[in-house]
Amino acid sequence: MDFTRDALLDVYRRMRTIRSFEEKLHELVGAGKIGGFMHLYAGQEAVAVGVCSQLTDDDQVGSTHRGHGHCIAKGVDVAAMMAELFGRTTGTNRGKGGSMHIADVEKGMLGANGIVGGGIPLVTGAALTAQVKGQPHVAVGFFGDGATNQGQFHESLTMASNWKLPAVYVCENNGFGEFTPTEFVVPVKDIADRAASYGMRAVIADGMDFFDVYEKAGEAIALARAGEGPTLLECKTYRFYGHYVGDATPYRNKEEAEDWIQNRDPLDLFESRATEAGIVDSDALRTVDGEVAERLRVAVESAESDPLPEPGEVLTDVYVRYE
Amino acid sequence: MARELSTGAAINEAIAIAMRSDPDVILMGEDVAGGGDRSKEGTEEMGGVLGTTRGLVGEFGMNRVRDTPIAEMGLIGTAVGAAATGLRPIAELMFMDFLGTSLDPLLNQAAKLRYMFGGKVKVPLTVRTVCGAGMQAAAQHSQSLYWMTTGIPGLKTVIPSSPADAKGLLLASIRDDDPVIFCEAKGILNQTGEVPEGDYEIPLGQANVVREGSDVSLVGFGATVGIAMKAAKALDGAGTSAEVLDLRSLSPLDEEAILATLEKTGRMVIIDESTPRCSIARDVAALCVDRGFDFLNAPVKCVTAPHTPVPFSSVLERAFLPSAQNVLDAVGEMG
Amino acid sequence: MATPISMPKLGMTMEEGTVVRWEFDVGAHVEKGDVVLVIESEKNEADIEAAASGTFRHVYIEEGDTVPCGTLLGAITESPDEAFDASAFQAAEDHPETQAGGSLEVRTPTRQTPPSPAERQTKPIAPAARAAAKKLGLDPTQIRGTGPGGRVTKQDVEAHASAREALTPVANGVALEVVAGGSGETVLLLPGLGTDVSAFARQTPVLLERFRLLGVNPRGVGHSDGPEEAAYPVEQTASDAAATYEGAAHVIGASLGAAAALELALRFPDRVKSLTLITPFVESNPRLLAVAEAWQRLAAEATGETLAAALLPWFFSPGFLADTSVRARTLRGLAQTLARVPAPTLSRMVAGLAAWSGTRTQDLSRVAVPTLVISAGDDLLTPGAGTLATEIPGASHVEVAGAGHAVALEAPEAVNGAILKHLS
Repeated sequence: MDFTRDALLDVYRRMRTIRSFEEKLHELVGAGKIGGFMHLYAGQEAVAVGVCSQLTDDDQVGSTHRGHGHCIAKGVDVAAMMAELFGRTTGTNRGKGGSMHIADVEKGMLGANGIVGGGIPLVTGAALTAQVKGQPHVAVGFFGDGATNQGQFHESLTMASNWKLPAVYVCENNGFGEFTPTEFVVPVKDIADRAASYGMRAVIADGMDFFDVYEKAGEAIALARAGEGPTLLECKTYRFYGHYVGDATPYRNKEEAEDWIQNRDPLDLFESRATEAGIVDSDALRTVDGEVAERLRVAVESAESDPLPEPGEVLTDVYVRYE
Repeated sequence: MARELSTGAAINEAIAIAMRSDPDVILMGEDVAGGGDRSKEGTEEMGGVLGTTRGLVGEFGMNRVRDTPIAEMGLIGTAVGAAATGLRPIAELMFMDFLGTSLDPLLNQAAKLRYMFGGKVKVPLTVRTVCGAGMQAAAQHSQSLYWMTTGIPGLKTVIPSSPADAKGLLLASIRDDDPVIFCEAKGILNQTGEVPEGDYEIPLGQANVVREGSDVSLVGFGATVGIAMKAAKALDGAGTSAEVLDLRSLSPLDEEAILATLEKTGRMVIIDESTPRCSIARDVAALCVDRGFDFLNAPVKCVTAPHTPVPFSSVLERAFLPSAQNVLDAVGEMG
Repeated sequence: MATPISMPKLGMTMEEGTVVRWEFDVGAHVEKGDVVLVIESEKNEADIEAAASGTFRHVYIEEGDTVPCGTLLGAITESPDEAFDASAFQAAEDHPETQAGGSLEVRTPTRQTPPSPAERQTKPIAPAARAAAKKLGLDPTQIRGTGPGGRVTKQDVEAHASAREALTPVANGVALEVVAGGSGETVLLLPGLGTDVSAFARQTPVLLERFRLLGVNPRGVGHSDGPEEAAYPVEQTASDAAATYEGAAHVIGASLGAAAALELALRFPDRVKSLTLITPFVESNPRLLAVAEAWQRLAAEATGETLAAALLPWFFSPGFLADTSVRARTLRGLAQTLARVPAPTLSRMVAGLAAWSGTRTQDLSRVAVPTLVISAGDDLLTPGAGTLATEIPGASHVEVAGAGHAVALEAPEAVNGAILKHLS
């Protein structure tokens, strides 16, 4: 494999951070310490990191309600994310956005998005900006299988194809749209089949395998950057938790879920592949685990003590200027 | 120096000036160039279903003037994303009725990104759209839905009443760093008037006293300013001095100007060519009752379209639209 | 290090849960992931796993108890005998959800609650009029409204205020509207029950040529102040009138105005140069009282024109009423005059009239000023007017044949001629 030790440790760290962050949130929400709707990304780490590790801060990424993974993969500060979830002014969004809207435009993170499919046109717009201005940037949109049924998906991919925009559309097909199995509501077998409607290039990757995602995403990103137009990249994956925290997933087959969680964990798969290739050993990875745990502990501690916004802030930042 | 231009031509001029002065300004929408890539072959005489954007693709090229598919959610949503990432797009929503097919990117994205992101992003988008009845375009192409966008925090809504105002308000809207819905009322599109040359802006949030008076205030915007002026002339002949206030900007709203004219005359009629429920007319009336209570010498009258869709037949459409006679009736009724 | 076991919030609608069964005894060892507790909420049971390994150290909530989400249920410590302060841990970790946080504060309005519909004045008053009245210290309910439905407008209030500026103060806080004009010797005009100075409309042009006229609208009439009193005594009307001029004047009164003029002459004889009494009375007869009562009812319940139409036959002779165009014109003018006397004023004047009636019958012989009595031949309301001429020493008497009670309006030439002769 073509990775240096440092590179492998870096991507592992990102994936482990996502996993631990989501597990910590599961605990915190269950304990009633964080309010609102929480949609956890655990299980899908290989997709976010496989794609985002190849992007710069100038490449914009659009996301979904299940956006923490994309934020972390794109380099958004974990402590600021945690503070946002606790509604603090030190949060990424100053406490105004919450879980479904975490953003850091400077890092190229156009925000998690509460509207299914809502981020796809935004990403298309970011790609348009790059094209109009002649910048070598790409825009990457993450969305689920359910979002591909949205009109916004159809219209955006139509426009991106017409204009050959520098975009990559990454569909994380985790088999379920909220409580409904994908095969029940998506009439095609593979989401990738939908690209044909737009004359768009499509590729399928194993979303649990970091290296497969990395390779296929890399191709798509390079093509987009070179002005060759957009790609639809379908990653087959699985979400380990329910749709949101509190969803006991009665609609999922318990054995099937257990099989994905026990036997197809992307972190475990990464570890076997990386250690087999002899570039890193498990001890090094355990060290990373410990560092991530500590970083999270500190993040929670400061989030819990950081200042809450003043009530007057409900009125700020609606507009740049409003006379 | 001023010359006579139609409202459509004044809008065209504003877009051209904005695009010349800032390379980040782009224009996108259905048929805004007209002819797709055949524009290169000289179909520049198109420029939109009403011809408003004629000539722009010729001057600025296809990178900055883009025909889109008939996909309002996609085109508006893309414009929002472009605005959030460094461009200053003018997106055209051909008819305001198409808010239906494009509402999510405006309502849940453009209006909310800045707020949700704690002020860390801005969306300097302008959506130009044609509203109002009077061309027999029937129910799905004649609505005045500015009450919807006015009610959405995070959006601004403006509506000029004359060619000169259209040019100045549009330049201000394009250069405004917030998302602005710029409403082009059918009732004024073919109207001509003096339009100053050069680059000038009319600030958002400032109403304009078009005619001074002392006995009754007629408040209008867009096409209803002309109706108010007609009624004012008739009232003059009957010895009643009417003041006409052009709101120009619905959000932000010039509340002080509204209250000032009410204080002056004690009597107000608001003329709104939209339907009555949740209308701008009733919004302004509520403001008067709340903050102008002691100025009221008579009830505030709202002259609006009826609570119906817009009909096709010309006699019905005429009955639908507010008229100067409706205004005179309201003035008589209010005492 | 201790790890809390709290009541989880499983799902957005869950508010509380019940501890069904603790699976371990206090002091037992647990592994992370072991089911340590079973809870029940909304009819579903759920297994709660230990979040850490260690000793199950403390139970806060017993089996069978129901608590809100976030309540601390138990604690696990890393080791069995490390220091553990159960109450301190509870203080730090117990976060039961309360309903819609914070207490609500009911605010009472600082101004009085608005009156109920029954209490409200039925006369509509525009907000701008109320504000103007408040600023000017006026009562808007006492001001005549010219807007639709009798609405009092801001202009009405302002007109009333500027008219009031021209009022003449006559007593504490009471000012009257005095219509003044002309020059020469002062002549005072005192109108009758329920009318104002315009009742002398046919006299004023003639008198203005020769005299300084002061037409006094008494309390509650026209723009004059109408204080809330049970009655307007005739004596008060007289003293009010006396306060509107200096020295002595010729005093002319009609009907109830004649009663006031009589009072003036009896109380302040040095203030009265001459006295002219038009259709006067010292004792009201039953018909006059009955008409006054009907007048009060109609003033409260009917339109101005209806009231005028009802009174017309009592004021004018058949000869006058026979001319329909004259009658119609007179009706309109009378309606406007009557509109200047609101119903409460009328009631107070009638009460004053009733109280005065009969009190001066014996005093007519004491009138010490030159007096003219003008009576009308067809007067239905004060038919005995002429007898006053015989009671008042030296009085002259002119009877206008065939005229009704409103003789000054009906037969102006005769009345004016008599007055001019008397005043010279």
